[in-house]
Amino acid sequence: MPAFPTYGPEEIAALDEQADDILSVFAARGYTRHEPAILQPAQIFVDRSGEEIRRRTFELSDPSGRELCLRPDLTIPTCKWQVESGNSYPARLCYHGLAFRHQPGDGPAQFYQAGAELLGLQDKAAGESEMMTLVVDALRAAGLAQFEMKLGDLGLFATLVDALDVPAQWRGRLKRHFWRSGYFEALLARMVTGSVNDTQRAIDALHGLNTMDLKPAIEALIDAEGDAPLGGRTREEIVERLTIQASDGAAPKLDLKVAETITKVLAVSGPAPAALAEIRTLTKSVAAKMEKPLAAMESRLVALKTLGIDPSEVRFAAHFGRNLEYYTGFVFEFWSQDVEIAGGGRYDTLMESLGAPRGTSAIGCAIRTERVLAARKGR
Amino acid sequence: MSEPLTLAIPSKGRLKEQVDAYFAGAGVALRQTAGARGYRATVEGLGGIDVMLLSASEIAAALVGGDLHLGVTGEDLIREAAPEIESRVALLKPLGFGFADVVVAVPRSWIDVSTMADLDDVCAAYAHRHRRRLRVATKYTQLTRGYFARAGISDYRIVGSAGATEGAPTAGTAEAIVDITTTGATLKANGLKILDDGVILKSQAQLAMSLVADWTGDMRTAAAALLARLGATLPR
Repeated sequence: MPAFPTYGPEEIAALDEQADDILSVFAARGYTRHEPAILQPAQIFVDRSGEEIRRRTFELSDPSGRELCLRPDLTIPTCKWQVESGNSYPARLCYHGLAFRHQPGDGPAQFYQAGAELLGLQDKAAGESEMMTLVVDALRAAGLAQFEMKLGDLGLFATLVDALDVPAQWRGRLKRHFWRSGYFEALLARMVTGSVNDTQRAIDALHGLNTMDLKPAIEALIDAEGDAPLGGRTREEIVERLTIQASDGAAPKLDLKVAETITKVLAVSGPAPAALAEIRTLTKSVAAKMEKPLAAMESRLVALKTLGIDPSEVRFAAHFGRNLEYYTGFVFEFWSQDVEIAGGGRYDTLMESLGAPRGTSAIGCAIRTERVLAARKGR
Repeated sequence: MSEPLTLAIPSKGRLKEQVDAYFAGAGVALRQTAGARGYRATVEGLGGIDVMLLSASEIAAALVGGDLHLGVTGEDLIREAAPEIESRVALLKPLGFGFADVVVAVPRSWIDVSTMADLDDVCAAYAHRHRRRLRVATKYTQLTRGYFARAGISDYRIVGSAGATEGAPTAGTAEAIVDITTTGATLKANGLKILDDGVILKSQAQLAMSLVADWTGDMRTAAAALLARLGATLPR
């Protein structure tokens, strides 16, 4: 695709027609269409998507100095609209429009997305099944019957880390980075050798203190720094983090067997039923805790079966985390001829960060309509 | 007459003095061009070279943009202007002055933070607790993004800083900073400390060449003669 495409009359008619087909599927399932502004305040994206997305975002400022951007996705403004509207939950919203992201190389910086967001549905399994059904039906309505599916679950790995004997201070690190290949392996290796001497000096000073004495000791260490700023963190945050580290002892190490289990689980990738069975075997020692996320993934496969999709044709990859920072659980991608044509997943913390009631769940999808059209034509 | 080779050197400050001294020591004498108010010069005994006096950051941008052939400026400014430096600018010779480290610094009262991995933990916890991202004040947006990405840190946001970056945590406009330091004294005075693995770049003044400027044979000949006096060679 050219970097700055101009669509002729036939191409735009085909795109419009396909968008109508997809939006009709969304509408039939109760999703109402919204069209957020293309030009958005930069702040809401910067605070929620992080610098990785920001470096790909087109930012500009208006003459009054207000920081704006071309929307890098439509999910955040759509969710924000739902929060500000005060409308009830669950809410079903959809859209079709342009998103803008800088692409390394010569890829087009603007592309069409048809997407849907299911917000605040309590029954998560029902929501996930509804969202997969929506994408499958939309792709079929758009005339694309052949595609491959890839599934993952950030929650499954998080459960594993919590279940295994991992020093408490490192759990967050492992959960955040498991999909970063290269970086993660190095991190794990350092944990096994115990060469992660982050705050050794502070920890040494706290060594051997009981819980009661810990807090005043930490506060004394902070006070010893005089009038140094706290930079927006509270003393409690520092006390909390050091308390967790102190509880792991003076020189924590990650058990080699635990590291091996993590490595083996993350390497699991293949036909979904077999992949899940393999993870069950690998995590036998913590089977009770892993039951919930594994059963949830299996019920998703059952849902796919009712859509006429053979689960053994679906790939499950344990390290698959979708490279977008607001996903929190189940994630999926649809591919055609080595091109990703749709993707989505669960992002259960985004709504709350936008001001929705605590625990407002969210799951959504986005379909790259230009790519679907190209795939349909066989490119 | 054919187009001259363009060389830019800093127009003011300590860096200008050091560059002048370095050129003089290498036997390269600059003669001011009449009527140019001290912003243009030629090199005595070497023809076909147009010397411009610009600000250090303008020199970096012009090298990256191909508007200059050769320039003397800080490596930090060149790398900030060109994240993919290899295809745009060649660093020909470190000049042994203008030393400054680009570093990640956090408040000293963060006694639980001494590495980038610690900062990663803190960024994630901060985003979770405060419902917004930890702010890093800097004028080195590109260097910061690249270094933080390599350290696996994503839960933060950059806030631009035009000056006095080291005061941002005290002023409450950012939690951490990325800035240059020579002795660390200014950071210390502002209650900040450098992370153990927080040195992004050990910078110094560099004699640099733009790879994207238009180069003619005459220009390469003129450049080779100049660089020979300065103890550097033209690549290829």
